[in-house]
Amino acid sequence: MTTPTYDAIVIGAGHNGLAAAATLASKGKSVCVIEKNATAGGMARNTTLAIGIQAPEIAHLLYNLHPKVKKELGLGSARAPLEVRDLPAVSLSENGNHAVIRNGKAELADGGPHPEAAPFAELMRRLTLFAGLLGQLSTKSPPSLEGGLTSLDALTELAGLAKLGLDLKRMGKRDMREFLRVLLSNAYDLILDDLEDGPLAGALAADAVRGAYAGPRSLGTVFTLMYRLGQGGGAQLPLGGMGAVAAAFETAARAAGAEIRTGTGVARVRIENDRAAGVVLEDGTEISARAVLSNTGPMPAMMLAGAGHYDVEAVRRMRNQRCKGAAAKVNLVLSTAPVFTGLNPELMAGRLLIAPNATYVERAFNPAKYGELPKNPVIEAVIPSLTDPALARGGQHVLSVVVSSVPYALEGGWDEAAREELAAITLETLENYAPGISALVTECQVLSPACIEARTGAPGGHWHHAEMGVDQILTVRPANGMAHYRFGPEGYYLCGAGAHPGGDVTGLAGRNSALQLLKDRVL
Amino acid sequence: MTKHVPIGLIETPFQPRLDALSTAKSWTNWAGYTSAAMLDTVEFEYFAIRNQTTLFDISPMHKYRITGPDALRVVNRLVTRDAAKLRDGRVGYVLWCDEEGMVIDDGTLFRFSETDFRLCCQEPMYTWLLDTAWGFDAEITDESHNVAALSLQGPTSFSLLQDAGLQAVAEMKPFDWREIEPDLWVSRTGFTGDLGYEMWVPNGKALELWDRLWAKGGHWGLKAIGFDALNICRIEAGFIAAGFDFQPVHTAMRLGRGRSPLELGFGKMVDFTKGHFNGRRALLDQQKNGLRYHLRKIEIGGFKPADGALIYHKKKKEVGHVTSGVWSPTTKRNIALAEFKAPFGKGITDDLWAEIYVNEEGQWNKRLVPVTIEDKPFFINSRARATPPRPF
Repeated sequence: MTTPTYDAIVIGAGHNGLAAAATLASKGKSVCVIEKNATAGGMARNTTLAIGIQAPEIAHLLYNLHPKVKKELGLGSARAPLEVRDLPAVSLSENGNHAVIRNGKAELADGGPHPEAAPFAELMRRLTLFAGLLGQLSTKSPPSLEGGLTSLDALTELAGLAKLGLDLKRMGKRDMREFLRVLLSNAYDLILDDLEDGPLAGALAADAVRGAYAGPRSLGTVFTLMYRLGQGGGAQLPLGGMGAVAAAFETAARAAGAEIRTGTGVARVRIENDRAAGVVLEDGTEISARAVLSNTGPMPAMMLAGAGHYDVEAVRRMRNQRCKGAAAKVNLVLSTAPVFTGLNPELMAGRLLIAPNATYVERAFNPAKYGELPKNPVIEAVIPSLTDPALARGGQHVLSVVVSSVPYALEGGWDEAAREELAAITLETLENYAPGISALVTECQVLSPACIEARTGAPGGHWHHAEMGVDQILTVRPANGMAHYRFGPEGYYLCGAGAHPGGDVTGLAGRNSALQLLKDRVL
Repeated sequence: MTKHVPIGLIETPFQPRLDALSTAKSWTNWAGYTSAAMLDTVEFEYFAIRNQTTLFDISPMHKYRITGPDALRVVNRLVTRDAAKLRDGRVGYVLWCDEEGMVIDDGTLFRFSETDFRLCCQEPMYTWLLDTAWGFDAEITDESHNVAALSLQGPTSFSLLQDAGLQAVAEMKPFDWREIEPDLWVSRTGFTGDLGYEMWVPNGKALELWDRLWAKGGHWGLKAIGFDALNICRIEAGFIAAGFDFQPVHTAMRLGRGRSPLELGFGKMVDFTKGHFNGRRALLDQQKNGLRYHLRKIEIGGFKPADGALIYHKKKKEVGHVTSGVWSPTTKRNIALAEFKAPFGKGITDDLWAEIYVNEEGQWNKRLVPVTIEDKPFFINSRARATPPRPF
């Protein structure tokens, strides 16, 4: 037997793949990351919309980058520079009574106190407290009872769970009861218990379901809201666009010693004697390794190895995974800065939300159930070129728009006409808040969930690779019996958003996976 | 008009003949079909199996066809043994497991060719097979309601077939499988441990086959039988039965009721070298970490059948129970299959006792009788394997 070329191969140079590679490489392992696209970064890349105009292609803001990952990988340090700006969230209202959320506090667009500032602050206090509790579970493999109480590993994991229980009790009876009461319920009821159904409630409802195939009345949306609030809920704009984030991850991985090969994808994962032995690239090149980590969605990862290497039940669970993407991206180049009614320049550079109330958010999801486009969509927009003028030139600006509740499986399919219709709906909606904005558009790029799948491989174009429902999180993410990143054959690991703790640019899935692999002594 | 789903039990194609023969009118539900528990008396039927020849209607058995370029891969993904080693025209006993290595069911696998198999089993398995075949180029067909089958078992079975014009079976070795005549497939298989054949025809030709055999039966003592007599024979032969000696894991409601092939004593039927199959990793773990149970053949003192009896070590510690127990009329022994909690039954095999309750004219007595572990089937007779079979 010849010696494998690498200790580990990582499939997919999305940020999680790069985090996994950096983590392994920093422990002295030889790692090669294979990326089918010409550049690394996955959903966190920039795209060039016109000469000299850069836009965040898919993801446009950082919410949840985990401090542990940041520290371990040295993101933002001299090793892998990354500069970010905190952005306020502005929940737009047609009547100009915009609600602004800054550092978890509500205010009005003119800086005055929001009438619901107090109940909002209390709600946020509770939610961020709860989110912090759950967050404890995000930096490790989820606890399992496999092997009972006899193995040291199981006991260590249980200790983590016991700490959660203890911390839960330590919150006091009131908060503990509230936590258990709301944990599995729906965001809509929770929010409207405390707030009027206006822009403030709308903002929270929209944050609860962004990227999800769900409305705020769907079960489990309190959990997804807490997930969003994992790092306090504030959004950050990376200078240089999201591409700068990808670049920082890439730099960190390379600095740690990982190799990154772009331009050719992996055709299949080689399995020998029920062990991952390397990969075969699309051009037929074979690369051997002692372990393979896949940053693809769980189902594509399974198909790369071949369904025959998995038990029937596992295949069935993968086939039935819920991963209908429901977020589309519309990137616009504007000839000049737009004017949003009632917003000062500072707020205009903020995270702009079109979610005037929670009911609006729920209704926006309804058409998706029938494969239709929302007529009045929920939108999260940002003009990164206001904060970072280097992204555009000649007075032009980039408007980056995430449109929610856009179905992957559109009735009639995604063709040019459907994308044009989505662009028209988006602009029509924006017009209500920024009259005249359509006339400023010089370039328009529409990425449907189907396009996102084609570009990144994310199943269903799903933001999180798989819906973050209560049936697909923690010990059952991606599925029952697979929550420890180990993915079928020995030495094959899942390291993407489809694994615990889930999506967003957190870096945790990749890092945790690499740590689990090291713990399993596969290398 | 939509097709109605039948309510209650349905009849096999042989029911008109069975009904006419039945004096016991003792019917049971086998996979939704009316099936005879006995037609006459268990004693007559049992001795006919061991001394003459018998017909048992096995049409209720579930039958699935696995066809296509990937058929062999699908079968090997399903079962624990290596179906690549099974030659065309051969039949193999197979078991298959869930992801935890627990037996879903056992059955017989008939290999037409590398691209065409038939699987016969007790439990409905269509959706499981569909799921197993997902991602492979193979088609699953449920033949349960299209193929009728008869089991002809007993020492004179070959002689009868000769008289019925089917002497071509003479060259068939045990577990061979041939199309003897168009639309008539014969396998030298059975559930009795004796000389015998199973015959497979399309439903429409079922009665024709029955009548053909029955017409030549008188001289060879042919008797139609029910399950009760067959059950004695299968215990004598040491064969396990789903629902008796193990609980098919998909039908078990309670946790931990499943058993692995290793625990059922079929370690030799598990081929860890053939590549991945369902439950392989779990079975490797179990092999490494130790089995929880051992299913063994046992002989019990006395003559009182011990079905269900608890088994003790040193007359004190409960270590297992009888899963199928019967008085064996041919070997004149009190025999059983029993499940032991490991290490009893394998590591510890002495000082084992079965607790038997006897009702002596209205008075119940408890007895502890000695248990001895047996390795070989209780009934072994060279006539079962002789090729060509000897005439009787």
